[in-house]
Amino acid sequence: MTTIHHADPSETMESMPAQISMPYTLTPGQATGIFLAELRNRRLIGSRHGDGTILVPAQDFCGSTGEPVTNFVEVAAAGELQAFTTTARGTIGMVLIDGTSTPFVHQILQADPAALEIGTRVEAVWAVEATGTFLDLAGFRPAGNPNTFEPRESPGDLAEPLQQVDYRMTLDYQHAYGQYYGTLFDGVKNSRRIRGVRCSECRKVLLPPRSHCDVCFAPTHEWIDVKPTGTIQACSVVHIEFIGQRLTPPYIYAEIVLDGSSTRLIHMVGGDAANADKHAVEPGNRVRAVWSERRTGSLADIEHFELLPADEDPS
Amino acid sequence: MTRVAIVGTGQTVHARRRTDVSQAGLAREAAVEALADAGLTMDDIDSVVVASGPAMFGAVNQPEKWLVDALGARYKPLVRVTSGGGTGLAGALAAINQIKAGAARRVLVVAYDKLSEGQLQASISTLYDPFWGREFAVGIMGFSAAYWHARIKRLGHTEEAAAMVAVKNRHHAMANPKAHVKKEVTVEEVLASRPLCWPIKILDVPPISDGACAVILAADQDAESITSTPAWIHGMAYYCEADNAADRSMLQSEPLQIAAANVYKAAGITNPFRQFDVAEVQEPYTCFELSYYEGLGLCPAGGAAELVASGATTMGGELPVNPSGGCMGANPIGATALIRLAEAAMQVTGKAGAHQVPNASRALVQAGGGWANLRGVAVVGAEKN
Repeated sequence: MTTIHHADPSETMESMPAQISMPYTLTPGQATGIFLAELRNRRLIGSRHGDGTILVPAQDFCGSTGEPVTNFVEVAAAGELQAFTTTARGTIGMVLIDGTSTPFVHQILQADPAALEIGTRVEAVWAVEATGTFLDLAGFRPAGNPNTFEPRESPGDLAEPLQQVDYRMTLDYQHAYGQYYGTLFDGVKNSRRIRGVRCSECRKVLLPPRSHCDVCFAPTHEWIDVKPTGTIQACSVVHIEFIGQRLTPPYIYAEIVLDGSSTRLIHMVGGDAANADKHAVEPGNRVRAVWSERRTGSLADIEHFELLPADEDPS
Repeated sequence: MTRVAIVGTGQTVHARRRTDVSQAGLAREAAVEALADAGLTMDDIDSVVVASGPAMFGAVNQPEKWLVDALGARYKPLVRVTSGGGTGLAGALAAINQIKAGAARRVLVVAYDKLSEGQLQASISTLYDPFWGREFAVGIMGFSAAYWHARIKRLGHTEEAAAMVAVKNRHHAMANPKAHVKKEVTVEEVLASRPLCWPIKILDVPPISDGACAVILAADQDAESITSTPAWIHGMAYYCEADNAADRSMLQSEPLQIAAANVYKAAGITNPFRQFDVAEVQEPYTCFELSYYEGLGLCPAGGAAELVASGATTMGGELPVNPSGGCMGANPIGATALIRLAEAAMQVTGKAGAHQVPNASRALVQAGGGWANLRGVAVVGAEKN
């Protein structure tokens, strides 16, 4: 049975905020590339397919057969509202462009939602300045006049497809510590203790702490203090730069087995002795934690590990 | 026993960046080629398995929904399988299981990644536990280099030996029309190339690619009626191990050893080095090919450097490894493992063209992902097993 000494709830950290934010260079393909490029010219371009359908935004492949687009058509910049919903941020709706087969979703602008109905006629609202994105078509608004524009086949003056759409995805998370990480990082933050758990069967000490041993699948049953010293199991010298990096390269990436534990801890090796010749730092070298001034309750409370001189090695 | 075979394969023109197609268009290109190779249309396909890497690579979640139209797969069973770098082989295994279970007769597996669209190493770093190591992660490269460093010390997998893998695979890629990196290098050039995560240097690293691969699988009479040259699956397995388990030295990959033992037993392999004519392995860095030689039992532990130096794994040697050029020719991660399987099928059916190993009839396939904790093995043969 698992017995856990619960930390004082007032000291327990509940969750860690984290953000992932990365840039992308997306490729729309030929048909959607042409659709996007033509928004600058304030024209809506659709694709005509072998099954008789016209799709807007233009698509490379037919939804019913998978066959490539037959030809492109210019369609009316107007249509009918088929569905809509309103939130505090505005109204979005499904718009079926005249003469086409499938509605698409966009903003419904400048409209009192009370005045909208299923079937309301709408017309395109163009962005004042085109930027090469879907929002060059800013949205749709109610329109008075019935549309008389017939789809125009194979316009000969089509723009070259837009090849790239820049995009950034930013995602915010709240990672719950749970009782195991909570207890570990409370100890790291408040008393600079690193504690693992011992498996009730194989007796090995596991970091990070967890309820069950991965190998025995037996419950862990006691908290064990692990020393801030250990042995490098594997290490490399990071020279590349990349988004989200904490240190300026070159620096040493290391997987360290702390004394008294049987698992790997991922961190960095620094300090004068290691930095004097980074390539000379090897698996098997002894290291010790250098605590930071920071008290964040994370592995970053360890500034780095430094090489442990033989005469100071407690083992 | 249901015996499953590959009856068609297709690959895109892989490239550093394909601006002419969307992700869906890329996947379709490979599917169209595989259907043509099998002489089938989508009407003949009962079920589709889409395989691609982490959605964060391309910023489109559940990308399989986007592929439905491009594949002409509307109203068919379609699922996505994802399992790190070995995703493509995991997808093929899912298809085989569908056929063996009687749920489908002809299954299309489409594997792809369009890596030019996102931030590869930063995306891979999100595979780490947010509390335990992510803040120090260097994608998969820091980890891979660290354990290669350990294998240099313990198993003699020297920088020179890995450089020989780079020289060999880049040389092989010259003959593969689908490879997009075609530049021969020397051992000296590899050793002198810029360190990224030392001991990994830039010429130890495969390209970042946009690409897709498709394979069509069918069983017994279905396979024999589709083609006169089915590539029979003699065995396939995909194993994992716990990420932070105690005493993981990672000098040898246990799931690879388990998968190999399982598949060799099914395929009647007792001496892999002698019994295989060709092998296709997924080497995200050159050091991994050395490790796989040992995990697959092609040489004893600590024997990989000697094996590559002997030339036995080069074209013309006793067991050519990666005649396609492997990942060094193209590495669209989600597709890479399926490319290995497709290349093996091409070899045993005599369809590999300029990089054909003469008279190859039995091929070994290896795939892997995660922190060396997801590993797959397959055996493909011309002979019905």
